[in-house]
Amino acid sequence: MTASVQDTRTDRLIRFGFLAAMLIFFALPIVYLFSTSFKTPDDVLQGRLLPEAATLKNYPNAFAHVPVLRMIWNSVAVALLSGVITLVIAVPATYATIKLGAFRRTVPNITLASYAAPPIIALIPLFYLLQTAQLMDSIPGLALVHGLMNLPVAFWLLKSFVSDIPAEIDEAAWIDGAGYWHTLFAVILPLIFPGILATALICIILSYNEFLFASALTFSEASRTITVGMSLFQGERLVNFGQMAAASFTGMVPIYLIAFLFQKHLVGGLTQGSIK
Amino acid sequence: MATPPAASFGSDRGANQRKRAEWSMTLPLMAGLAIFAGYPLVYLVLLAFSRSDLGQQFQGFVGLENFDWALSGTNFSGSVGHAILFALIVSLVQLALGLYLAVILSKIVRGGRWLRTIVLLPLMTPPVMVGIAWKLILNPSGGWLNGILLRTGLIDAPISFFGNHDLAFPAIMLADTWQWTPLIVILCFAILQGVPHDVEEAAALDGAYPKRIFWTVTLPMIAPALLSVYLLRVIMALKTFDLVYTLTFGGPGNATNIATFEIWKTALREFDAGLAAAQTLMFAITVSVVTLPIVLLHNHLEKRR
Repeated sequence: MTASVQDTRTDRLIRFGFLAAMLIFFALPIVYLFSTSFKTPDDVLQGRLLPEAATLKNYPNAFAHVPVLRMIWNSVAVALLSGVITLVIAVPATYATIKLGAFRRTVPNITLASYAAPPIIALIPLFYLLQTAQLMDSIPGLALVHGLMNLPVAFWLLKSFVSDIPAEIDEAAWIDGAGYWHTLFAVILPLIFPGILATALICIILSYNEFLFASALTFSEASRTITVGMSLFQGERLVNFGQMAAASFTGMVPIYLIAFLFQKHLVGGLTQGSIK
Repeated sequence: MATPPAASFGSDRGANQRKRAEWSMTLPLMAGLAIFAGYPLVYLVLLAFSRSDLGQQFQGFVGLENFDWALSGTNFSGSVGHAILFALIVSLVQLALGLYLAVILSKIVRGGRWLRTIVLLPLMTPPVMVGIAWKLILNPSGGWLNGILLRTGLIDAPISFFGNHDLAFPAIMLADTWQWTPLIVILCFAILQGVPHDVEEAAALDGAYPKRIFWTVTLPMIAPALLSVYLLRVIMALKTFDLVYTLTFGGPGNATNIATFEIWKTALREFDAGLAAAQTLMFAITVSVVTLPIVLLHNHLEKRR
């Protein structure tokens, strides 16, 4: 920016200091959690950034104490399945609303209203619904709830990607005699693929991270997710912080992997969907 | 948005085909939202006017008894106050920090990839793990902050941040700010990228200082967009539950008891589904009342542009 020519030295110093402080602030809890996962119980009490005598034992001990990997697998299964449910429902609906003008006032309004409503509203009724449908305490049951939960988010993220496609493209396909569903699959889907990927990733992360529904709708080892499992770690009277940190960090790895591999898509998806 | 021309085929068959496509494409979404939002709302209204516990619902019509009891006999109204205070404060702090950081980052050309990763990680962390990470930092025994303060001699005895009546709420706000400021940074960065350069450059040529340009030219231009970001953040913050659950469980006393947690306790600890439903309905109404002025202000600013 040309304007920065006139910035004074103090301005630049303040900016640099603030930037550095914020970056340390963002990194510190993750670094400290990671470092604690290598500390012995005595070492934990010292409260130092780095372990004095690093141990690898916390990981196998935590895995023996709680079924960490099983719970991560449950979370991943729920997240992937819910992502599929969300996209299968949201992609055609977004296309029809934006490009065909179907219910073009109703759909945005009801999605917005359902997003603004705190999820605690749905907790008790969905509790009974899953009980009646015999989906209580099951991976498909929680995936269904998460899949529906993320519909408003998916609609608003996809909306801007679909709007970006010039109207001539669909119209040309329609005039050529292609059906609307065919146009969606053959013409539109390839064009908005980056948007679909970003939406899928964000929905998968939201499901993986979700706690309120997961804690009320899953309780057996076969379906309990990692966020619920980690919250139970908290309840114990004698918390072994090293093991807790090891289990937590392991539970964060799948998400950080996504963040690292797809950062461009994630940032792009978040900004497209919210700014436009 | 321009409506696409009604069926280019020009025949009844074309119009029918179009209607069929519109319905088949949107129906699943409508049905999904009906299950996730519509049905719960109806169910809650029925629950709220009945005596219901979690195991046995609808034991009898009780009129407004649940609402009455929620307001007079429980901590509910206090918890709603806490939730609103929490949402408005954290959103404002995060907007200020996030905007400033975005302004700085928009002046830096290099290092984008690494900065982006560091900013993205807190945002992606599961809130339960955010709670655990901050518990490790702030814990009285073995917490990093207490370690630093003790070693530098600033304090003599470790501070229990989550056990202290005055510090518990700020401590939760700190953890929340850690998680969500990155979202604001990303959004504000994109907003700043969308500001046309020529206006700022014209002001610079007139001899205005960069700070002045920001306050008098850039900020008014992006104000509606910033308000949208604030609104989004307030709505999200009103849903906060996980951090309170992992960090304080509403305590000490009721110091950090926010509405979502109070409702959760009523429903799943005291099993009073009727009372919880009444609390939920009142909280939902509060949420709309709190967010409405922000929406109106946003529309007002948008119109003035």
